[in-house]
Amino acid sequence: MSPDFFLPPDFGIEVLYTVLIMIFTFLVFYKTREIYELTKHKGVQFFRYAFILLGLAYASRLFLYGSLLKSSLSFEPFSRPSPFLAPVSSLLLAYFSTLAILYLLYSTIWREYKTEHFLTIANSVALLISIIAFISRSPLAVLLSQVVLLVALVVMNIRNHKGDKKKTPMYALYFLIALFWLVSLLVMSGMRIQFSLWLKLVLEAISLSAMVVLYYKISRWVR
Amino acid sequence: MAIRRRERLEVIYDFLSIVQENQGSIKKTPLLRKTNLSSQSFLEYFDELIAKGFIREQEDNKRNKFITLTDKGYRYISKFKQLAGFINEFGL
Repeated sequence: MSPDFFLPPDFGIEVLYTVLIMIFTFLVFYKTREIYELTKHKGVQFFRYAFILLGLAYASRLFLYGSLLKSSLSFEPFSRPSPFLAPVSSLLLAYFSTLAILYLLYSTIWREYKTEHFLTIANSVALLISIIAFISRSPLAVLLSQVVLLVALVVMNIRNHKGDKKKTPMYALYFLIALFWLVSLLVMSGMRIQFSLWLKLVLEAISLSAMVVLYYKISRWVR
Repeated sequence: MAIRRRERLEVIYDFLSIVQENQGSIKKTPLLRKTNLSSQSFLEYFDELIAKGFIREQEDNKRNKFITLTDKGYRYISKFKQLAGFINEFGL
């Protein structure tokens, strides 16, 4: 039997965590369908796409995690890791997650920054970061690029909503979801920075809780 | 006193509600008057609501044109509070 068969318990947890996150992201997309159909509201549109993209980013992350794990577990000389899986997963992960962050933030500031070129700009930025990920083959490069991006966008958001009476606690939740995405990348790059299994579990539980809270808040409006 | 500018979704709600309050059918001129919109804005909303399937224009036997609500229009009215509440709470 191949040693690859014996996967560490982390992998099972990762699969479960990813599947749960994906279920919630798709539920958010599905639940807000009628609101979008009736209003064709741009904010709702970007909000929905952000969650679909986040779900796809988590799926790509799982593929990348699997491919990195496979290469670290391969003891047999003929069992080499696929030369395509890791770079392609990195590329998709960087692309989907960058777009998800941009869409989520833009859904809250689109009124102030109305531009017809948002899709072009967002896709160009996402493409640039995914090329960096493809070349470097490291989640750490994506992580650093997205930290810079997130900080810039949060600053823009705070500036736009300064003195806004309609401040919503949801911004904190969005920030938390984006932050935990970045933490999940950091955990992945933990092939070098070792995270204990318990710490990973706690982080994933908090991240999942943020998604559950968001979904619960949506469900209260959409029945 | 400052006059609050109505949000787009609110204008659509008011527009559709006026049709509903007239037993779901009204002529274009009284509708224009009751919506409190300029002629140009009214026509823009009118075309948009026709295109989105919220209202339709119908003719009676005497070839008088009436605006009536569609099922989608009724659904929008009944769900408006939910729609506006969601958009407001999520800061969209």
